[in-house]
Amino acid sequence: MQDLLYFLQQLINGLTIGSAYALIAIGYTMVYGIIGMINFAHGEIYMIGAYTALITITGLASLGVAWLPLILIVALICAVLVSSSMGWAVERVAYRPVRGRHRLIPLISAIGMSIFLQNYVHLAQGSRNIGFPALIQGGFQFGDPDSFQTSISYMQITIFITTLICMTALSLFISRSRIGRACRAVSQDLGMANLLGIDTNRIISATFIIGASLAAVAGLLLGMYYGSVDPLFGFIAGLKAFTAAVLGGIGSIPGAMLGGLILGVSESMTSGYLSGEYKDVVSFGLLILILLFKPTGLLGKPEVEKI
Amino acid sequence: MRTSVKKLAAAVGASVAVMAAGQVAAEIKIGIAGPMTGPVAQYGDMQFSGARMAIEQINANGGVDGEMLEAVEVDDVCDPKQAVTVANRLVNEGVQYVVGHLCSSSTQPASDIYEDEGVLMITPASTSPDITERGYELVFRTIGLDSMQGPVAGQHIASLNPERVAIVHDKQQYGEGIATAVRDTLQAAGVEIAMFEGITAGDKDFSSLITKMKQADVDYVYYGGYHPELGLILRQARQADLDAVFMGPEGVGNKDINTIAGDAAEGLLVTLPPSFDQKEENQALVQAFNDKGEDPSGPFVLTSYTAVQLIADGIAQAGSDDPMEVAAALRANSFNTPIGTVQYDDKGDMRSFEFVVYEWHSDGSKTPVN
Amino acid sequence: MAAQNFKHALFCAIVTLVISYPILGLNLVAQGTQVVLEGADTATLISIVLAAVAVFLFQLFRDHIMGSVGKMPNLNPFANREPMEQSKRQRLDTIVLTLLVIGALIWPFLVSRGSVDLATLVLIYVMLALGLNVVVGLAGLLDLGYVAFYAVGAYTFALLYQYFNISFWLALPIGACLAATFGFLLGFPVLRLRGDYLAIVTLGFGEIIRILLNNMTWLTGGPNGIGGIPDPTLFGMEFGRRVKEEGNTLFHEVFNISYSGNHKIIVLYLITLVLALFTALVIRRFTKMPVGRSWEALREDEIAARSLGLNRTSVKLSAFTIGAFFAGFAGTVFASKQGFISPESFVFLESAIILAIVVLGGMGSQIGVILAAVAVIILPELAREFSEYRMLLFGLAMVLMMIWRPQGLMPMRRIHIELKKQE
Repeated sequence: MQDLLYFLQQLINGLTIGSAYALIAIGYTMVYGIIGMINFAHGEIYMIGAYTALITITGLASLGVAWLPLILIVALICAVLVSSSMGWAVERVAYRPVRGRHRLIPLISAIGMSIFLQNYVHLAQGSRNIGFPALIQGGFQFGDPDSFQTSISYMQITIFITTLICMTALSLFISRSRIGRACRAVSQDLGMANLLGIDTNRIISATFIIGASLAAVAGLLLGMYYGSVDPLFGFIAGLKAFTAAVLGGIGSIPGAMLGGLILGVSESMTSGYLSGEYKDVVSFGLLILILLFKPTGLLGKPEVEKI
Repeated sequence: MRTSVKKLAAAVGASVAVMAAGQVAAEIKIGIAGPMTGPVAQYGDMQFSGARMAIEQINANGGVDGEMLEAVEVDDVCDPKQAVTVANRLVNEGVQYVVGHLCSSSTQPASDIYEDEGVLMITPASTSPDITERGYELVFRTIGLDSMQGPVAGQHIASLNPERVAIVHDKQQYGEGIATAVRDTLQAAGVEIAMFEGITAGDKDFSSLITKMKQADVDYVYYGGYHPELGLILRQARQADLDAVFMGPEGVGNKDINTIAGDAAEGLLVTLPPSFDQKEENQALVQAFNDKGEDPSGPFVLTSYTAVQLIADGIAQAGSDDPMEVAAALRANSFNTPIGTVQYDDKGDMRSFEFVVYEWHSDGSKTPVN
Repeated sequence: MAAQNFKHALFCAIVTLVISYPILGLNLVAQGTQVVLEGADTATLISIVLAAVAVFLFQLFRDHIMGSVGKMPNLNPFANREPMEQSKRQRLDTIVLTLLVIGALIWPFLVSRGSVDLATLVLIYVMLALGLNVVVGLAGLLDLGYVAFYAVGAYTFALLYQYFNISFWLALPIGACLAATFGFLLGFPVLRLRGDYLAIVTLGFGEIIRILLNNMTWLTGGPNGIGGIPDPTLFGMEFGRRVKEEGNTLFHEVFNISYSGNHKIIVLYLITLVLALFTALVIRRFTKMPVGRSWEALREDEIAARSLGLNRTSVKLSAFTIGAFFAGFAGTVFASKQGFISPESFVFLESAIILAIVVLGGMGSQIGVILAAVAVIILPELAREFSEYRMLLFGLAMVLMMIWRPQGLMPMRRIHIELKKQE
C-alpha cells in the first residue's frame, strides 16, 4: 500500500510539472506550426510573466490588498498583459524582418533575443533569487498518518485545473472562432491564406500573443508553486517545454499537452525511483528514442516532402 | 577577397589597441574577487563591504608605510570558470594580493593560478579543507574549515537523538564537502543515515526529493549548499507536510532565505562563525559600518576586513611587499584583528576558529543554541 | 494613411511602456525578510518615457526615415571599381595572407600579456567555428549541440592527464579522435531527421553530455571541474615558474633568461596559431575534394543529391565526424589554456555563440568565419567598461546582424571562372 501511495505521489508531482510544461510548450508549438521557426525567446517570456506576477503581487500587498482571488486575478491580468506585449514586440522586432529566409537566420535572431531578454531582466531586477509568496497553501493528505501519506496540495490542484481550462478554451478557440480558423488556415498554407484575404501578419501576431499569455499563466502558477524567480530559470524551463513540444509532435497542440505530461511524469519517476541527478538525461534520452522511431513526434503529422 | 583580408588586418590592428596601458603605480593593489552578481551575491556584498571598509580605514591612517591601498574588484559569480578568468585578469594587471574568493569551488582553481604566479591570497569565506591541503605557500584563510564545521553540526544533531537523518548536497565542492563531513561524524556517532543525495544548484523543483524523504520517514535533514536551494526545499517541504528539522552550514545563514521560505525558515539550525560584531572591542568598527549604512553582522564582513588588515600588517612586518616574504611574516607572527588573535599554521589555516550553532527565525534573526 | 500611422505609432509606444515600466521601473528589493517594490530612480523612468517617445516618432515617420536611409550614398570607396583580374588577385591574396601570418607570428612579442591571452581565445573559437562551418555551413546540417564535442576534447585531456599523466601533444590527437568518434555516433540517430528535429536532437545531445559531466562526480569532478591541467611542453621544456613534472627542464633556466609569465602565454598562442592554420588548411583541402562537394550538394538539395547516387549516410557522417574532430582539437587547447575545466564552460550558450559566428561570417566561407570569430570575441572585450551591458548588447547585436546582413560578413564565394567581358 505504501508503495502504491509513493507511486501515486510521484505521479501527482509529475503531472503537475507536466501541466506547466504543457502550457509553455503550446507557445512553441503554435509558433512553429504557423511560421516554422523555433522561438528560443519563449522561455524568457515565461520568466518575464513570472516576474511581472511577482511585482504585481508585491505591489498589491504593499497597498494593503488582502483578498486572495483579487490578488491572483490582477496578477494574472498584469502578467498576461506584459508577456503578450513582450511577445508581440519580439515578433515585430526580431522575427518579422527575417521571415522567410534560410531557417538559420530567424534561429540566431531568436537566440539573440533570448540572451537580450535574460540580461534585460538581470540588469533591471538583479541576478538573485527572489522569493515568491506562497499564496495558496494547504492541501489534502490521504493514507495512514503513521506511515507514508500522499498529499495533494491546493496549489497542485490549481495548476491542474487552470491548465485544463486553458487547454479547453484554446481548443474551442482554435476550432470555433474566426481567428482560430484563420490560424489553422495560415498554418496549413501561408501563401494561400494570404491570397484568400486573411491578414497573415495579424494572425501571426495573434499566435505569438496567445502563446505568450499561456506562458504568463504558467509563470504565475509555477512561481507560486516553486517559490522563487531569477533571470535564468526561463531558459531551462523553455528548453524542457520545447523538448515536450517536439516529443508530442511540433505543430500539434494536443501533442504539446501530451508531450508535456509525458515529460513531467518521466522526470518525476526518474527522480523518485532512480536519482534526481539524471532526470534531465532521461528526458532527453526519451526524446531521442521517440524521434528515432517516429521522426515527427508522437502526434505529429508526417511531413510530406515535395520535390 | 582583398577587402576581407583588409578587414582581417583591421581587426588584428584593433585588437592590438586593446593593449592595456602600462601601470605605473606607487600603490599596493589589492584584488577583491567575489560574487557581485549571481545567486549568492549577498555573500559577495558582505565580502566587498568588509574589504572596502578596511582599505578606507587603512588609507585614512596613512596607508601601509606611506603607500596607499587600491582595490581592484572583480566578479566571479561563484562560478569556477569565471573565477579562473578573473584570476588571470588580476594577474595580468599586476595585482599581487587578493582577498578572495568566496565560494570554495571558485577559490580552489583560482588559487592554482595565484600560487603559480606568486600572488598572495587570503580567503575570507571558503571553508573547504582541500584549499590548504596542496602545500601552497601563498594561500591563507580568515575563516574556519569544514573539517571543524561539519563535526560541530554532526555532533549537535547526534545530541538530539534523531531516528533517521537525510543528507542532501548540491554536488559543489563546498556543499558536498561539508555534507560528507557531517555524514562521517554522524556515522561515527552511530546515527542512521537514511539517504545521501545530490541535487543540482539552480534546480527549482524538489517535490520528488521531498517525497523520497517523506517515504524514508526522516526527522532531520542536513543540507550542504547555499540558501537559494535550501529556501525552496524548506518551502516545498512545508507544503508537502514533511515534518523534519533542517540544518545547514553558513552558506544558508542569510536573510534572503526568509523571503523564499517564509515561515518555513523558523526553526532552521545553522552553523555560523561567531558574531564578531557583538564583541566589545569591535563596537567602534561596527559604528563605522552603521554610519555608512552597511550591516556588519553578516558572517563574512569582518573576516574580509581582517583579511585586508592582515595583508597590510604582513607587509609592514615583512618590511617589503614581496608576497613570499609577506607570507612568511604571516606565518611567523600573531596579529590582533576584529575576529580575534590570528595565528597561522604551516598550511595557511588559523590555529583556532569556532563555529556556533544558531537557530534561525522567520524574522531573519538568530539565537545561539546551547 | 496618416491616421493609420498615428494609431499604429501610438500602439507601439504604449507597448513600449508596458514592456519597460513594470520590469525596469519597479524594482523588487529584499528588505530584511520581506520583498518590497521600489520605484526606480528618475533617470531610468525618464529613459523609459524617452524610449516610448522615440518609438512613437519612429513609427510615425517610418516611411520617411527608411526612404532617406536607402538613399544614403554608398560609403564604400571601392564599390565602383572594376574587379581585379583573377590571376593578379590571387597573387595579391597570397602575398597579403603570408604577411598576415608572419605578422601573427611576430606580434605576440610586442604586446601585453592580456592581449596575447585574448588572441589565443580568439584562435580557439576560430577552430571551433571552422569545424562547425563544415557541419552547418557546408553540409547544411543544423547542429545545436556542437559544444558536446568541444567538451569531449577538453575532458579527455583533463582526465588523461589526471589518471595517466599524458601530456598535451599526445592528448591532442586522442582527444580529437575521441571527439570525432562521438560525432560519428551522433550521426546515426539523426540520419533520418531533417531541419528542426535535427536541431533539437543535437541540442539534446549537447545537454546530455553536459549533464553527464555535471553528475558523474566520481569521474569528472562534477560542477567542481578538473583543475591542474598543464601547459604544453616543447622538447621537454616547461614554461612555468617551477617544474611540475619530474624530468622536465625549465625554459627560462635552459636559456638563462629571467622568468616571465609571458613565456607560457606566448608559447600557447603560437601553438594555437599553428593548430588553427592547420585546421583552416585541412578544411580548405576538403572543400575542394569530392567529400566537400558532396557536403555542399547535400545542403543544396538532398533529394537531388541522393538521386545522383550520393550516399546520404556517409556524407552526413563524414560531416559530423570531421567537424567534431576539430572541436576536439579546440577542446584540448582550451583545457590547457585555462588550466581548469568545468561543465559551466560547455553550456548551450557556447553552441549558440559558435553558431552565431558561423552565420555571421557567412556560411561556408572560411575567411568570413575567421573575421566573425575575431569580431565576436574581441568586441565585448573592447566594451569592458560597459561590462554590465555586455551580454545585453551581444544579444541585440545578434538580432541586428540577422536583420541587416543575414548573408554574413563574407558570403561564400565559390571557385569559379569568369568570362572575359566583350569589348
